[in-house]
Amino acid sequence: MTNYLLKNACVIDPVNKISQEMMDIAIVNGHITEEPSKTAEVINCGGTLVMPGGIDSHTHICGTKVNFGRYMSPEDMRAGRAPRGNGMRAVSGYSIPTTYGNSYRYALMGYTTLTEGAMAPLEARHTHEEFRHTPLQDGLIMTLFDGDWGVMRAIANCDIKRAAALIAWRLSAVKGYGVKLTNPLGAEMWSWGKNVECIRKPIPFFDLSPAEYIQGVIKANEILGLPHSVHLHCNNLGKPGNYTCTLGTMGLIPDLNEKRQTAYLTHVQFHSYGGSGWNDFCSRAEQVSRMTNLRPQITIDIGQVMFGRTTTMTADGPMEFNLYRLYQDKWSNHDVELETASGVIPVMYRRKNLTNSIMWAIGLELALLVENPWQCLLTTDNPNGAPFVKYPEIIGLLMSNEYREKEFETVHATTAKRVVLPALDRELTFDEVAVMTRAGQARALGLLELGKGHLGIGAEADIAVYPIVPDKIDPAKQYAEIIRGFAQTKYTFKGGSMISRDDDIVADNQNRMFWCSPKIPKAYDMNNDPELIRTFERYYSIRKENYPVDEEYYLPRSIKIETETKL
Amino acid sequence: MRRITLIVRGSTNPFLPIEAEVITPEILCKTVRVNVYVGNQKMQLSEVFDIRVDGEAAGPSATEIVLIGDASRVKRVGEYMTDGRIIVDGDIGMHCGDFMTGGTIEIMGNAGDWLGREMLGGKIICHGNVGNYCGSDYRGGRKGMRGGEILVKGNAGDYCGESLFGGVIRVMGNADLHAGTNMKGGNLIIEGDAVMPCGDMFGGECTVFGHVDDFMPTFAEIGTVVENNQELTVFTGDLAHRNGKGTLRVGSYTRI
Ligand SMILES: [Zn+2]
Repeated sequence: MTNYLLKNACVIDPVNKISQEMMDIAIVNGHITEEPSKTAEVINCGGTLVMPGGIDSHTHICGTKVNFGRYMSPEDMRAGRAPRGNGMRAVSGYSIPTTYGNSYRYALMGYTTLTEGAMAPLEARHTHEEFRHTPLQDGLIMTLFDGDWGVMRAIANCDIKRAAALIAWRLSAVKGYGVKLTNPLGAEMWSWGKNVECIRKPIPFFDLSPAEYIQGVIKANEILGLPHSVHLHCNNLGKPGNYTCTLGTMGLIPDLNEKRQTAYLTHVQFHSYGGSGWNDFCSRAEQVSRMTNLRPQITIDIGQVMFGRTTTMTADGPMEFNLYRLYQDKWSNHDVELETASGVIPVMYRRKNLTNSIMWAIGLELALLVENPWQCLLTTDNPNGAPFVKYPEIIGLLMSNEYREKEFETVHATTAKRVVLPALDRELTFDEVAVMTRAGQARALGLLELGKGHLGIGAEADIAVYPIVPDKIDPAKQYAEIIRGFAQTKYTFKGGSMISRDDDIVADNQNRMFWCSPKIPKAYDMNNDPELIRTFERYYSIRKENYPVDEEYYLPRSIKIETETKL
Repeated sequence: MRRITLIVRGSTNPFLPIEAEVITPEILCKTVRVNVYVGNQKMQLSEVFDIRVDGEAAGPSATEIVLIGDASRVKRVGEYMTDGRIIVDGDIGMHCGDFMTGGTIEIMGNAGDWLGREMLGGKIICHGNVGNYCGSDYRGGRKGMRGGEILVKGNAGDYCGESLFGGVIRVMGNADLHAGTNMKGGNLIIEGDAVMPCGDMFGGECTVFGHVDDFMPTFAEIGTVVENNQELTVFTGDLAHRNGKGTLRVGSYTRI
């Protein structure tokens, strides 16, 4: 393996409190070291910006619903087509590209770790197979527990330890990384053609409310000592007036972990809506970000909407049905046995549409109003708000008030009456951008201890070298250069290997899966649990023995994280 | 006036498709030193065709391309064509004339699938039969042919005029399954018979002078009309669509 020495790097490494310092970085055997190797290949960065590799903490790139988006929208494959070349296989697709397309485009933007935001446990094999073919990034998978009958029953019976044991069994079986709740209990209600409206109202047959369920799963998650907190997609996504539900949910979150947040609320833009309907639809980003500022135990990601064509996909089945009624175009809906549901719809966000313009403004407001960047991460909920290739444009908007004002002039004329964005003049710094695109993600996901998200001695050498010289650029004015700079690195390294140089991809097969397997005492080992066995025999379409994902075949390169539990 | 004659050589592997989107008057009126893909191999046009060029170059409108030999696996001929003329002496492969905006393509033999897909203007005449998806949109697309004219003297395959949005398609023979599905505009005329046409139609006009088999139950009868000395029953639909306002006129029909 080639060793490298990056000279004259203008380093931003928020975890180690390094802010635009000129340094040399030595990479030996895939890690960052004090001393360079004598045979190191020297790369002169010439004062350009060097940061840890980007980490996406919530994206949809692998799995059955992503693939169903591809089936449903062959027209998406007409965009983004590129023949084989520059070290890349032939790729196609724009909002739902091929797995290689995703991997190459992320690599060129300096991203080295990707988190699939929602995997139905029953469909884990497909998800892992797609990750196997996402060659340039490490993968983590948030596993859906929003409608898990066993966990629901255990929490309804106030047996949090049993809930934890069930989560541990399933997480290890499907090789997931964290616990995701998408519209908690919504999928169960959706199988009755309904949805959850209020987090306090118990659902029938289980006598359990979403609030109780969320709190129960959070406790179970901490009992299991998982590196990531519960990853929460709140109820009532996309509905006018849903901010009250979001604030109510935020109020439920205790502070149980000193290393990281206790709950990660994803794509909060879709959950910060005011109004009683679409006619008086407006932003409530101020209220939601104030609550976030008051509660350090919460980390959010923004789920920014950008104008253009994309595809929405979520485990929130009823929400997608509402969207379908709005657009009357194609729609897919899927029920995953006893676990969860999903829906997919292609959409177009238009500047001339008032609702879309307000949505666009809300995401930016959240990013500007949450004071602590460690609590507010940059995402588009790819591809729901926009394809991830729009990240550089969002960085440009957040770093330049001038650019925001210019863009604001092009959106629907009455937007200004419904949002606070024009009043916000905060401009994010390079350091804050570094937190919101890598360091914050590493902390939120619990990856810091695994040597990711920072450039300290011993860290994994995941490094992005951007063609931006921070001293010589004024992001507030030169936003076009900022966008161009973040769109394509000069070099991207992953695990010490160079994976891209300018627009060439120069590596393959660098990906690994991170997955969690909590250490469970015998009394809580669900493998021989009569109720779980009965559930499989009576209700599942497959046997329990066939359920776990085979590590050797599906995860040829993986890192198993065994956590200490409090069971 | 310049005439470019392309004679298909027998030397290339007959199982490989030839991607020949370069065969348009605007490209060939300037140069014939262009490449085509045969399978995944890039080749010179002259390696695949014997080329004869007669006359002076004078822009696409004064250019005529004549294709001779078995061109049934030559794809995308006349793609994005704007002017001039292409004459195919025999059969032609898939996607002939897609996205064309002007000029004329005349095919003496049969045409493959997707003839005039998403075409915007100009004229295509096919003396033989056409394959499936004549004048339609592409997979997942929402708008098919938007303008111009396609005349088919033989029969049409399945999904003729799918998502038709504008322009005229006239089929002098019969059309197979699902002609005019998802039609939103334009005019589809089938002089022979058709099977289950115009499902999910919500605009435009389709006329089947012959017999319709498996006529869909989701159309409402609104009267009769006489055209070309023939009485046609007029329907509106497809009522299964929330905004079905298309017109379907048929000579005779048996319901599904
Ligand atoms: Zn998501």
